[in-house]
Amino acid sequence: MITGSMLSSGELSVALLFNLLSSANFSLANQNYFNLGAPVAVSLGAVLGALSRYYLTILFSQRLGTHFPFGTFFINLSGSLLVGFLATLAIDQVTLSPELQLLMITGFLGSYTTFSTYALDTSVLLQNKERKKALFYWLGSSIVGGVCLEIGMMIAHSLHRGGH
Amino acid sequence: MGWLRRREQTGRSILRSPEGRLRIPIAVGLGAIVGALSRYYLSLGINQGLGINFPIATLFINLSGAFVMGFFTSIAVARNIISPDVRLIVAVGFLGSYTTFSTYILDIEKLVVVGNWQFAFLYWVSSTLLGLLSLELGCFLARRVLSVF
Repeated sequence: MITGSMLSSGELSVALLFNLLSSANFSLANQNYFNLGAPVAVSLGAVLGALSRYYLTILFSQRLGTHFPFGTFFINLSGSLLVGFLATLAIDQVTLSPELQLLMITGFLGSYTTFSTYALDTSVLLQNKERKKALFYWLGSSIVGGVCLEIGMMIAHSLHRGGH
Repeated sequence: MGWLRRREQTGRSILRSPEGRLRIPIAVGLGAIVGALSRYYLSLGINQGLGINFPIATLFINLSGAFVMGFFTSIAVARNIISPDVRLIVAVGFLGSYTTFSTYILDIEKLVVVGNWQFAFLYWVSSTLLGLLSLELGCFLARRVLSVF
């Protein structure tokens, strides 16, 4: 039997969290969204996603400069690729439970990618009279984002087929 | 508070300072939880209320988020009345998590898969165009508010 003294506080909180998440399974099936599991899953993913976005943006601006929003551009494109991959896995019902879907797609990817900063970056580029960069960033994000989503879906399909 | 004003110029030193190491992730994380939960419950509520085959929830969330982003950053830049912590909570944490790009792209793909090309194109154009417009509207409103006070 595992007692509290055998676990560190970190391990204990992870164990508690998994208890919460696994207890959400039953009520999610009954369409009761106002239980503890769904908000905990969304929040946990959201904190991870927002922090990854924040530190990646700083890293990109330190390495590549601030004349173009490389960070948000990379984040939105990689997020689109991941959402294509994960949503395909979820639809194909491979291994994604409802709580994992909430944690990874709604929580993590929803917070990791951002639309408000994308609009703000475009507006700042326009204000600085960087018309070409603004147009490239504005249209490029949504067009290449769609292409990245398709690539993510293709990877998921090929993995799925490879498994059989 | 002196060091915060001095160090906010360079992101690197604020990350390395003992206060910044905890202060920043807590601010971003707090805003992110509130933002993501607002997005989750709003899209549940709107989709249940309408039940139409158009991702109106994500559109509303992204447009309103862009509007608030324009309003908030205009005020934050024009007058130095908003502390760096509040800027992190609202702009990076809350608004960054409330709005989403991945769901927007996924929604377009879902419409394309069903063969609903008109809605897909309408959603794509309206998000990108109106997103920029609502941000500018927020900036405009902030300038109006600032000129009054």
